[in-house]
Amino acid sequence: MDIPVVENVLKLNDEIAAENRRRLGEAGVVCLNLVGSPGSGKTTLLEKTLDSLRGELRIGIITGDIATTRDAERLARFCDHVTQINTGGGCHLDANQVKQGMNNLPVEDLDLLIIENVGNLICPVGFDLGQDAKIGLFSVPEGEDKPAKHPRVVLESALLLLNKIDLLPHVPFSMDVFESDLRKLRDDVPVLKLSAVTGEGLDAWVDWVRQSSTTVKRDRAAATT
Amino acid sequence: MHEGAIAEALLEQVRSFLPDQAVLREVHIDVGRLEHLEEMVLQTFWAALTKGTGEEGSLLSVNVIALQVRCRGCGMEYEPEDPAIMLCPQCGAARPEILQGSGVVLRRMEVEQPD
Ligand SMILES: Nc1nc2c(ncn2[C@@H]2O[C@H](COP(=O)(O)OP(=O)(O)O)[C@@H](O)[C@H]2O)c(=O)[nH]1
Ligand SMILES: [Mg+2]
Ligand SMILES: [Zn+2]
Ligand SMILES: [Zn+2]
Repeated sequence: MDIPVVENVLKLNDEIAAENRRRLGEAGVVCLNLVGSPGSGKTTLLEKTLDSLRGELRIGIITGDIATTRDAERLARFCDHVTQINTGGGCHLDANQVKQGMNNLPVEDLDLLIIENVGNLICPVGFDLGQDAKIGLFSVPEGEDKPAKHPRVVLESALLLLNKIDLLPHVPFSMDVFESDLRKLRDDVPVLKLSAVTGEGLDAWVDWVRQSSTTVKRDRAAATT
Repeated sequence: MHEGAIAEALLEQVRSFLPDQAVLREVHIDVGRLEHLEEMVLQTFWAALTKGTGEEGSLLSVNVIALQVRCRGCGMEYEPEDPAIMLCPQCGAARPEILQGSGVVLRRMEVEQPD
């Protein structure tokens, strides 16, 4: 006997993601999902971001880590609202883990929730968490070919970052190839180049975060009227 | 390597549709090209997760779905052969809306009902 089904295998995840999105929307919280390879500089960038926006935006952080609490400890020095999710070997965060993470945060008192996903350019992209925007982070030492090798991050991100530009003089990295590969995938995605260590380019990123916070809220208001 | 997570979600979903007493023979899924799922790894997880359960020995049939996109520049629908190159054959823009080729879908299950 044949049983036809036709149902998304990640239906449950998507339902919880929609629930997260609704809860965040009601609380007026904008949610960004930061995706990048291990060591690309996600935590460092967030440390700098928290430092820049301190006193301006109320920020909460959910950080996914395979086993340790190191990122959460680093980030807690800059922010009171950090919660850690140990995936126990899992290579991505799912919507249910983010839901648990949100329960550890004073969501109603936040303006912005940033999720540091597990370091990985493949798996996290397939799992909706309830974010308003995904941000794809690449870094110079990974090499210029990463966008072409990971098209889905490029296709689904609202913003792409290239971190560690301070290392450009020291490692072989063809900016031309990086940019032309990107433009074969998306000609409409903004790309910001920065160094989370030297601070070069950081202002433009922090401005983008400020603006996304405003535009997302405006879009939500427009959607409900 | 999210094959494990996909296989777990799939098995749970399959069980929710499986009639009482029925024995699962084969599960058919569609996997989008953009998913980066390795069929062999998926098969290994499927075998491991079903081992020792009522679904042990069931087959997993994986159908890879090619990419199909619509250009946000001119509206043209096309099928990029290389997932790294999305340039529109009509207007040259790279502003694809993904119509097909992402996601994993359980299509159908073959089961045997005891008489
Ligand atoms: N040179 C340089 N190193 C960086 C930069 N950003 C991060 N790093 C270093 O890269 C390593 C990994 O950074 P981390 O933030 O832990 O990466 P994550 O795994 O993506 O969270 C650390 O040693 C950082 O100091 C940067 O812009 N330039
Ligand atoms: Mg980190
Ligand atoms: Zn994975
Ligand atoms: Zn076109």
